[in-house]
Amino acid sequence: MFRPRRVLPWLAGLLAALVATAAPAETPRLATLDWTLAETLVALEAPPRAVAQIEAYHAWVNAPRLPETTIDLGLRSQPNLELLASLDPDRILISPMFANLTPRLERIAPVETLPLYSPGRDTWTEMRELTLSVGELVDRPEAATRLIEATEARLETLKARLDGTTPPPLLMVQFMDSRHVRVFGDNGLFQAVLDRLDLDNAWNGPTNAWGFSLVGIEALAGLDARLVVVEPYPAGVQETLAEGGLWGHLVETSRGTPLMLPPVWSFGALPSAGRFAELLVSALESADAV
Amino acid sequence: MPSDALVRPRRPRPRLTPGRACLVLGLAVLTLALVELDARSGLGPGLAALIGTPDEATGALVLHFAWWPRLAMALLAGGGLALAGVLMQQVLRNPLAAPTTLGVASGANLALMSATLLAPGLLGLGREWVALAGGGGAMALVFALAWRRGLAPVVVVLGGLVVNLYFGALSMVLLLFHQEELKGLLIWGAGSLSQNGWQDAAFLAPRLALGALAAAWLLRPLAVLELDEAGAKSLGVSLKHLRLAGLGLAVFLTGCVVSVVGIIGFIGLAAPNIVRLAGARRLGARLVWSTLLGALLLATTDLLLQRFSGALPTLIPTGATTAALGAPLLLWLIPRLRLGGEAPPREARAIGTRHPAPGRLAIWLALSLTGLAVVALLAGQTGTGWHWAAPTDWELLQWRLPRTLAAAGCGVMLAIAGTLIQRLTGNPMASPELLGISGGSAIALMGAIFLLPAPDNLTLVGAGTLGALVTLAVLVGLNRKSGFQPERLLLTGVAITALFDAVRAVVLAGGDPRGQQVIAWLSGSTYYVDLPSALTVTGAALLLALAAAPLSRWLDILPLGGATATALGLPLARSRLVLLLLVALLTAGATLVVGPLSFVGLLAPHLARLLGFSRAGAHLLGAALTGALLMVLADWLGRQWLFPEEIPAGLVASLLGGAYFMWGLRRL
Repeated sequence: MFRPRRVLPWLAGLLAALVATAAPAETPRLATLDWTLAETLVALEAPPRAVAQIEAYHAWVNAPRLPETTIDLGLRSQPNLELLASLDPDRILISPMFANLTPRLERIAPVETLPLYSPGRDTWTEMRELTLSVGELVDRPEAATRLIEATEARLETLKARLDGTTPPPLLMVQFMDSRHVRVFGDNGLFQAVLDRLDLDNAWNGPTNAWGFSLVGIEALAGLDARLVVVEPYPAGVQETLAEGGLWGHLVETSRGTPLMLPPVWSFGALPSAGRFAELLVSALESADAV
Repeated sequence: MPSDALVRPRRPRPRLTPGRACLVLGLAVLTLALVELDARSGLGPGLAALIGTPDEATGALVLHFAWWPRLAMALLAGGGLALAGVLMQQVLRNPLAAPTTLGVASGANLALMSATLLAPGLLGLGREWVALAGGGGAMALVFALAWRRGLAPVVVVLGGLVVNLYFGALSMVLLLFHQEELKGLLIWGAGSLSQNGWQDAAFLAPRLALGALAAAWLLRPLAVLELDEAGAKSLGVSLKHLRLAGLGLAVFLTGCVVSVVGIIGFIGLAAPNIVRLAGARRLGARLVWSTLLGALLLATTDLLLQRFSGALPTLIPTGATTAALGAPLLLWLIPRLRLGGEAPPREARAIGTRHPAPGRLAIWLALSLTGLAVVALLAGQTGTGWHWAAPTDWELLQWRLPRTLAAAGCGVMLAIAGTLIQRLTGNPMASPELLGISGGSAIALMGAIFLLPAPDNLTLVGAGTLGALVTLAVLVGLNRKSGFQPERLLLTGVAITALFDAVRAVVLAGGDPRGQQVIAWLSGSTYYVDLPSALTVTGAALLLALAAAPLSRWLDILPLGGATATALGLPLARSRLVLLLLVALLTAGATLVVGPLSFVGLLAPHLARLLGFSRAGAHLLGAALTGALLMVLADWLGRQWLFPEEIPAGLVASLLGGAYFMWGLRRL
């Protein structure tokens, strides 16, 4: 936990370099606390100057990577204000989750709150809107349009690849421990992707504002579906599951072998959506090929 | 607390006996189970699913691999925890002792978290062993702390409390920085009984049977503990070894249960108390009935929960539910308890020796505080490394000044609140958090964060104040009749704190990304303070400190016990009410700004005493200075330690203070 902060020693040199090269930038200097906004910015080729919890971003969002020069602001819920102020950003982007920080952040730079996953709104429409507004903010509206078109085209291609096959309804879960899973459904990223790919979700139960529901494994019994497990497994869980029990029987009675997907940021925007779609379709194809 | 502290109310109405209580609950379990089975697959196939290898029908599969093991697990876990609770209450002679008091649960929790982050391979070998090792380690630490004092009950409880807080703080740090990795453990921490087969029940059953046998074997010597200490000694019983055996057994039972189902704390507190209230006096009877009642209590709760929680998009863990249901039950019980009367409290004045010149000591403390404040304001890291700021650099100081001021103000408030409550109750475990005021305020705040869309800070402050006031009203309403008896007051606080823990566990277990915000606030950070609120806090702290000063005569007399105090002409009920109000105001003020920072309220009065401030006036002053010093130091260290990430001041304070406190306790 208290590992030495390798970042510190060369932060100095880095910052000096940045200041030196800070010729009147064509894109505004942005800081963001939200990983979803960060990944969108990177995809628009206007990477933010500073992001909160960079190490965790790379562990959980994974792709697209942040540039090496991005500055870590500390915790998402409590970004280091002294550091942020010293970076003198032009604008700070947040999601409504961090709305309580707005008065403080506004003392440093104008704050832009960009919502995603608002209850009762179509996730895909909202993702498009989010991308467009971010594009406006970084003065790259054409890049935003390109990203939307590219992602939608990519999803169309993927959908075409599934033509002719009739995949069973999917049940997308992520293990929390050996007895509990998050099951993904309405109002979430995965559901939005499934809708675009014309695939069915076997989970019709209620979900929270983030598009998942936390349930015991027994809640999955009786659903006629193919299991999709989004990694990572918590430590020790795979071993416990291998012992059989209810999960073993669920796997036996499900349609085909369960699909394993590498970690995807389940609360992401278009980049994560494209990645998830790609991974899912590839997994479906390779499983059918066997 | 003598074990006959809880007796029946005077009016002999339809008598509640342990047997009848168990019968009622047993019938409830049976009815609920049969109705459920009938609804799921019909009675016959349902019962067949218990034993038979299930066919491929999904309903039977779920019954065999999830429903039946879950029922068995509820009965086993409830029984085990209640048994452990009786043992602990008997050994510690304290009706508030519960399986979680000794730090077993927090030790197990910390061990699992560390293993998840540092050595995930260990978890593959068996989570229960990691949890048992952690719980055992925590217990060993408590015993090491209390060993020199012959494992005296109060010292054991005190040591357990500190270990609990300390391990809890360490877990919070891990959680703050690794929320995504540890989300599974949050479910475990909230106590979910959900099962994936019979493995866990098969693990638990033989161990609990072994524990029950050992308890039966210890029955006669443990019964001797009901005599007072001298009486037991004269019978030739080695108290130290007996207590060690009793506590060790209780910890083993708790550890086994906790490692498989997570933290289900309230059963171990409630079942023994209900049984005693229902008239079981002898230890043997209490052991048997408590175990039975605990098992049935947990099974009933769990069955009801499974029946009604299906429609919610989130998991409602059973452990948190028992705590939430148990809180009103405890509140109902409190007026019906006859506690140890007005006997002079034990140990309250035993810590530390008196300093010859407390005035000089206070000046030294004040000077150190000033020096530290200057360092905290001017020294710190920026993007380019360590930097000593000019005192006129307002661009920088505008961030630092409010935090340092708020830290000092909250430190003072909590320290004074802690001193007042410890002297008022004569109980070294007492702290503002134990009164439940921070808890009540925190419940309201969590409600605001989760139920309102994007609440601003003013709304949050309003919600927190409301929560603190409601809690205060409950405290006053329930305790006015008894004249604000210290033990009763603490019990009320325990109930409210239990409710708070339950709400927090449910909120965090759900895995909502907003949980990060809750964790950040709960861990007590000065992050959210701006200059006006920092000035308000400091001003309020000074005002309330001045208000507390004239009360020091009361505070000198109250720890001598109610009878002495009345004899000396003290208006007992009125003075308690006034002090209580003051404590509530102090706690609410500090909680609203920096979260439920109970550690400083607990530690500062103790540290002041260890330093040698012993009379009430000096004690208040010393504690206030120590509290401010501790908080300012903690806030500064927390901001620099992992720069740019910040560790909340409350966590750092408890890590620093806790370490020092354990060292001090060991020297006793």
